[in-house]
Amino acid sequence: MAPARLGLAPPETGRAPGSPRPSRRPDRATILADFGPLGALVLLCLLFGFLSPQFATWGNVRNVLDSASVLAVIAVGLTFVLLLGAIDLSIEGVMATAALSVALLVANSRNDLDFGFMGVLAAVAIGAGFGLASGLLSTGLKIPSFMTTLGMSAIGIGIATVLFGGVQPALRSPELAEWASGQWFGLTRLTYVAVAVVLIGILVQRYTRLGRYARAIGGAEELALLSGIPVRRYKTLAFTFAGATYGLAGVMVTTQLGSGIVQAGVGQNFAAITAAVVGGTLLSGGRGGVLHSIVGVLIVTVLVNGLVLIGVSPYVQGAVQGVIVVAAVVITAWPLRKRLRVVK
Amino acid sequence: MNSTAIRRRRGLAVATIGFAAIALVGCADSGAGGGGGDEAAAATCAPEDIQLIGQVRNETNPYEKSWLDGGDAFAESVGLTQTRLTYDGESPKQQEQLRQAISTGNPECMVLNVLPNGDSDTTPIVKEADAAGAYLVTQWNKPADLNPWDGYDTWISHITFDGVDSGRQIAEAMFEQMGGSGGIIALQGILDTAAAKDRFTGLQEALAENPDIELLDEQTADFDRTTGFEVTKTLITKHGDAIRGVWAANDDMALGALQALEAAGMSDVAVVGIDAVPEAVQAVADGTMTATVSVDGPWQGGVGLAMGYCALTGELDVAGLSNEQRAFFAEQTLINAENAEENLTPKADLEDFECGNLFDRVTGPVS
Repeated sequence: MAPARLGLAPPETGRAPGSPRPSRRPDRATILADFGPLGALVLLCLLFGFLSPQFATWGNVRNVLDSASVLAVIAVGLTFVLLLGAIDLSIEGVMATAALSVALLVANSRNDLDFGFMGVLAAVAIGAGFGLASGLLSTGLKIPSFMTTLGMSAIGIGIATVLFGGVQPALRSPELAEWASGQWFGLTRLTYVAVAVVLIGILVQRYTRLGRYARAIGGAEELALLSGIPVRRYKTLAFTFAGATYGLAGVMVTTQLGSGIVQAGVGQNFAAITAAVVGGTLLSGGRGGVLHSIVGVLIVTVLVNGLVLIGVSPYVQGAVQGVIVVAAVVITAWPLRKRLRVVK
Repeated sequence: MNSTAIRRRRGLAVATIGFAAIALVGCADSGAGGGGGDEAAAATCAPEDIQLIGQVRNETNPYEKSWLDGGDAFAESVGLTQTRLTYDGESPKQQEQLRQAISTGNPECMVLNVLPNGDSDTTPIVKEADAAGAYLVTQWNKPADLNPWDGYDTWISHITFDGVDSGRQIAEAMFEQMGGSGGIIALQGILDTAAAKDRFTGLQEALAENPDIELLDEQTADFDRTTGFEVTKTLITKHGDAIRGVWAANDDMALGALQALEAAGMSDVAVVGIDAVPEAVQAVADGTMTATVSVDGPWQGGVGLAMGYCALTGELDVAGLSNEQRAFFAEQTLINAENAEENLTPKADLEDFECGNLFDRVTGPVS
């Protein structure tokens, strides 16, 4: 069998010994896997819209999009790591360091520095640096990404704790505050930042080697290696890109909260992985993409928002969220269950 | 190899005898002190040999850092240094750190001022310290049926705070600010913690006495600032301008709510929290927040060490303490516009740590 052209290979390449020959026409399972989460999102919106009069108002749409913006930025970066079949657990640590760094570099209550938007860029670069380190450690020393990124997270939280030094730096920069509360055309500015990052993510995924190779490596790493793809380089690059998005997410949380806190990323790692998987980006790699993950982010955000609006008791909200997430994953993964013979 | 092992064992035996002798002398001394009537137990350690250890979860939150700083202030005042331990909120790590401290130091001259991670963590800590003979003060968490007077000679005291009272104090301050009527929302802490439950009970008590205040919604925000921000935004969409007050079970959530209100352009909503973290006190001083409650971290960090120090120098007779002094609710202060300025930088007051003043802040027994 001639090696498939990797860029255009259908996601199931090399995984479907049962199917007679690769077909151009997507089958039912693929359609459901791709559009199932979108259907779930639409269903959730209809349900909440029916149960709560406030859900479908413009104010709430703005609120949901604003709430989803941080998680969306994280999910874009995480998607590339997941596509590789790797995992990234460094989000909380990278966001903590980025949050404290940006809060200390722009006008703040702790020191006299005021680098303005250069401070924001620096925080994003620091995030990218963390990602680069995770990537180099994983590929160079052949340590599973699970361990390297977990270690990176601890390092990030450690650095952030040192930077914090007992007093939270509060932002004193009117330009940055404007980004948190200001609006353009009825939506918050951070929403546009998230949309821009998502667009960049889609472009990278579709039109660059990083995006194409990430999917190929995740689908069948050995095959990719044998085809001459510099796997290590692109893996490291994917981690670096992801780190940069976590850095940006740390900056966004800091502008929203008005001060740099070590806990900026608490819970985001789990939320982002959940969102990606719910949206159809598989942890086994090679399948899914930025748009999938974003649908997942919206599902998770709408769920949290809707349950509060329809007045579900806080004591059972967690459980209800869990049930809905599991149900969504079961529905989307049902047609794939034969093909995914190995579940890790 | 064999002979070294034997030699080591012999050394150990000598050391054991030595310790036993010291312990005997200590017993004899305290026996004599007890016989002398009003005289407290005599010194068992030279003041310069006393080892002071403060242990909290982490230094990433201002409150726990200020606790350790208070410990440092006390230690410095008696010419010693405090060993600062942090265990990142991990129970096994906490136990391990304490075991190590006890086994590498001299437990007979050791004072441990500990914030146990959870109720169930207190039992092994108490047993460990009791077996080694180290003086121990625990704070915040302990199982209800475990008490210092049940045969634990070196577990001096357990200090905690009445969450019902603090939840109620901030609720009343908020109602007053609102003029006694209007709608409020409540941000609860992690629902299965005693702190969250007690504080919310306090709010409910206050609500029962103020029928013109309506609780529009209660949600949990996990004691977390980001979650507080997100939940408040959603509740603003749901209730809009009907919200005249936000009651939060801690300052982190209150500060998150404050940010959400600011983003929504709602500036005249009364916001209250608990813990008196520096940012919240600043917000109260600036008038953007209405009130918070201080449990005084520096005092907690210092007083636990001071109790052990006084016991070791013979100025405090642990056996003579009442049950109310050995497990008590300590005083907490409401911080509002009037006293916010002076509480901006919480500092330990060394007078509180004098052996005669250690129990001045007892407000009642832990019920």
